[in-house]
Amino acid sequence: MSQAAQSNRIGQPVRRKEDLRLITGRGNFSDDVNWPHQAYAYFLRSPHAHARIRAIDARAALAIKGVLAVLTGRDLEADGLKPLPHVADSGNPHEPDLVAPPGFKEMIAPHHVLAIDKTRYVGEAVAIVVAETVNLAKDAAEALDVDYEVLPAVTATRAAAQPGAPRLWDSPDSNISIDAEVGDKAATEAAFARAKHVATFETQINRVTGVTMEPRAAVAQYDPATRRYTLHAGSGGAVRLKQDLAKILDVPANDVRVLMDDIGGNFGTRGMIYPEFGAVTWAARRAGRPVKWTCERSEAFLSDYQARDLAVTAELALDAEGNFLAMRGTNLSNVGSHPTNYGPLKKGVEIMTSLYRVPCAHFKARGVVSNTMITRPYRSSGRPEVMYVMERLIDIAARDFGFDRQELRRRNLLKSHELPYTNAFGMVYDSGDYHDAMEKAFTLGDWAGFPARRAEAKARGKLRGIGTANYVDTATGVPRERAEITVHDDGRVDVVIGIVSNGQGHETSFAQLINEWLDVPLEKVRLIVGDTDIVQVGGGTHSGRGLRLGSIVMWNASNKIIGKGKRIAARMMECDPSVVHFAQGRFSAQGTNQSRTLTEVAAAAQHLPDLPEDLRGPLAAFSDETIHIPSFPYGCHVVEVEIDPALGTVEIVKYAAVDDVGRAVNPMIVHGQVHGAIAQGVGQALWENIHYDPASGQLLSGSLMDYAMPRADHFPSFVAEFTEVPCTTHPLGIRPGGEGGTTPALGVMINAVVDALSDFGVKHIEMPATPERIWRAIRGRQ
Amino acid sequence: MYDFDYHKPAHRADADTLLGRDNYKPLAGGMSLLPALKLRLNRHDGLVDLGALSDLQGIRRDGDAMVIGAMTTHATVAASDLLQQALSALCVLAEGIGDPLVRNRGTLGGSIANADPGADYPAAVLGLGATVITNRREIAGDAFFTGLFETALHSGEMITAVRFPLPQKAGYAKYRQPASRFAITGVFVAQTVAGVRVAVTGAGPSVFRFAAAEAALTRRFDAAALEGLTLAPEGLNSDIHAGADYRAHCVVEMTRRAVIAAG
Repeated sequence: MSQAAQSNRIGQPVRRKEDLRLITGRGNFSDDVNWPHQAYAYFLRSPHAHARIRAIDARAALAIKGVLAVLTGRDLEADGLKPLPHVADSGNPHEPDLVAPPGFKEMIAPHHVLAIDKTRYVGEAVAIVVAETVNLAKDAAEALDVDYEVLPAVTATRAAAQPGAPRLWDSPDSNISIDAEVGDKAATEAAFARAKHVATFETQINRVTGVTMEPRAAVAQYDPATRRYTLHAGSGGAVRLKQDLAKILDVPANDVRVLMDDIGGNFGTRGMIYPEFGAVTWAARRAGRPVKWTCERSEAFLSDYQARDLAVTAELALDAEGNFLAMRGTNLSNVGSHPTNYGPLKKGVEIMTSLYRVPCAHFKARGVVSNTMITRPYRSSGRPEVMYVMERLIDIAARDFGFDRQELRRRNLLKSHELPYTNAFGMVYDSGDYHDAMEKAFTLGDWAGFPARRAEAKARGKLRGIGTANYVDTATGVPRERAEITVHDDGRVDVVIGIVSNGQGHETSFAQLINEWLDVPLEKVRLIVGDTDIVQVGGGTHSGRGLRLGSIVMWNASNKIIGKGKRIAARMMECDPSVVHFAQGRFSAQGTNQSRTLTEVAAAAQHLPDLPEDLRGPLAAFSDETIHIPSFPYGCHVVEVEIDPALGTVEIVKYAAVDDVGRAVNPMIVHGQVHGAIAQGVGQALWENIHYDPASGQLLSGSLMDYAMPRADHFPSFVAEFTEVPCTTHPLGIRPGGEGGTTPALGVMINAVVDALSDFGVKHIEMPATPERIWRAIRGRQ
Repeated sequence: MYDFDYHKPAHRADADTLLGRDNYKPLAGGMSLLPALKLRLNRHDGLVDLGALSDLQGIRRDGDAMVIGAMTTHATVAASDLLQQALSALCVLAEGIGDPLVRNRGTLGGSIANADPGADYPAAVLGLGATVITNRREIAGDAFFTGLFETALHSGEMITAVRFPLPQKAGYAKYRQPASRFAITGVFVAQTVAGVRVAVTGAGPSVFRFAAAEAALTRRFDAAALEGLTLAPEGLNSDIHAGADYRAHCVVEMTRRAVIAAG
């Protein structure tokens, strides 16, 4: 009989086994970690958006009793620390290259753990202070005398790209850090020339930040005897953090050990190394003490990586029947003070055409530096922006040229028989049934019944609107992943893998896979992910890669274990391995009543004499794969809103979502992911906004008192369903499920809001679609 | 935060003495003061926690008025049966302040002494023509709020209670700032024996009375009486959440809703 319950197999909505620990305060987050004799760090941050640092006088700070060290940019230069090893372009062979035109000067913009001679945004760290307490460190920071020469600053995206804008870096001719083109320009121009209709759209997509529930925290120490550094800090993955930290410290990777346990949110915001992690680790060596730093919420708003902030000009060409002919435009990404990652720019522009049949397209993909915090990948990096642009263009085309919104989508949405389909930028969509997802969403959202609801609302003085958005989501990420699975002789199974959970429920969903393949109860499966002395390889958690790549290497390793187990069992049962089958946790010899459990076989591997060398020792196997091929989750959302014209307030009355994740390992977890992702996307559409004052460069949305987050009471119960068309490029049919909720949410919300305002002739509302903006739009049209 | 001395006196007289010290400040819940201290925006030599002074707490009827102790929490006001019957608009107001944690710690006296431009209670004090009772004197509500975070309180003076005259009708309507949930605009409307009072919080640097609305509602206490009424945006607050002209519009709209809420 099987040891493991059928109810814990793939496809079952198993309750998350980690949740009781997490919600009863027994998690081990970075700030929960304390080491003997630790001191505390505090960062002095620039109050100016752009300034030259003439000098820093630390004498008064160092005179305070209990202050152990004050380190500045000059000290890091003297100690030979290297800049953060950002990789701006991943170079995936399945994606188009962002190639600069000939003669384009590369921007040299090293990102150090502390500013050296200039600060380029409000909040950039200029010194780290180490003291016996946080409060003393703050006292010392106040006593630091920094002589700034304030320089002109620019924060807004299009303004920063102007030739006369204040220049952040000396190297290039402007603030433009990348200037590429993708698609076929000549074919696109020709298609526009013969188009009957051209829809146009210009927008500035707002900047947001991740607001992880757990702020960043780090504790580091240095052992002079072994010359090893140890850092405990939650992030998107331990292995990358170790490698990056070693590069900053300029030491061999094995001289660095990174630890992490529970991590309260990532969203990409915490996916990459931060300056503070390098500074704290360095400071631990300089102070000769373990050093701890915990980011405060207001500090997080200044110094957490930010996201989106894309200025777009786009056009869609149509023929008389409404067939899409071509698309063109420019995406300008505000990368912040330092260009560190063109992922959002690239992963957006390569799917500008979404799931629609658009024969040709041409886009400029540009990046610009500005006196703002760095922007980087954030939940569904780059894709929500472009899906919003495409879905707005379709609604604009429908309105301007007299097409029905649904029919225009039906006409141009790719059909199953057209897949695999190579889009105008060379991306290959593998599989799916896009029309099925869309029609299901229309049904769930009761599009047909909307006119009656709109009339009813109008009778009450309210404005109802309905909107829809299809989406596709390109999942790529770090290609290499490794899993090592060990079956112990007491039945426990350890899985060493380079994928940490930031809240996604891996302890349950990964265990469900092991349960399915090795028939091991969930509670017996342990994931080992957060200690780089054990986990040697692994890309971390981002870009829908955790389950997608993790499942492949765990599956391979499980199959190897079964293969080894068959050979061991054959020896135990004195039969040929070819007649041994593994099912329901047992190795059985065909044609006999003999069988051995996985646990018995694991024990035999340790004790049985005369085993061949490759079968001796713990029953273990590993799989190490490098997988570049992208995955394309897709779906369609429908939302209905009701606007109170007196104040411009928006109520979401219905939100219907259909998402295709190929195969849902744990539908309850996927639903949770979808719900959270929708809230995060709607948050950007309606409330969230990183607002830098254009005149001073100061951050005006620097706390939860001014940065408006989505809340539970903003939402109705989501009506969320899946379609499960197996992904043909994944051996198990799995597509990622963590980002799909966010990807269409921007476009669907704005489409619904604009639809609600259609009686007033309002053509567009920029994000966030605040009541004030809606009120102004109505008033402007009354 | 910077170091400070902390005192929690059990008797009023001790509190009075401590508050006479230089740069000492009463701690009346601390829902604004403590975050400001943590962020090093404020610096005090001492805090005098009024939480142990039981005579500063409680809700009682005093003739044609309700007297509420300065240290009564928002949650207590929101849940008070006495107030539900006599002055339910105040319960509605208290229930809408912050979140449950703030309502369980924050107090009436702390709120009005702080005089945050987006706080709710100042609208009730002004809108009902309440009297602020301190350890030294009584201050008319109309004279209490003097500017942005400014009141008529003197150094060392401590609010002990607020006397709210009972109106014939009263209503409060609040339009919340989406992040902080302070008032972008909150309007308290009361029909009293002395006439109609309309007090507006959130829209200006300090709570103010909306004279044109009072005149219109005095003629007829009905939302329709406000038809066509406007408020000039000059002098109103303007920030990333709402421009002055939008706030001016919201004041009229929230006045209308407060009248409807008054019934």
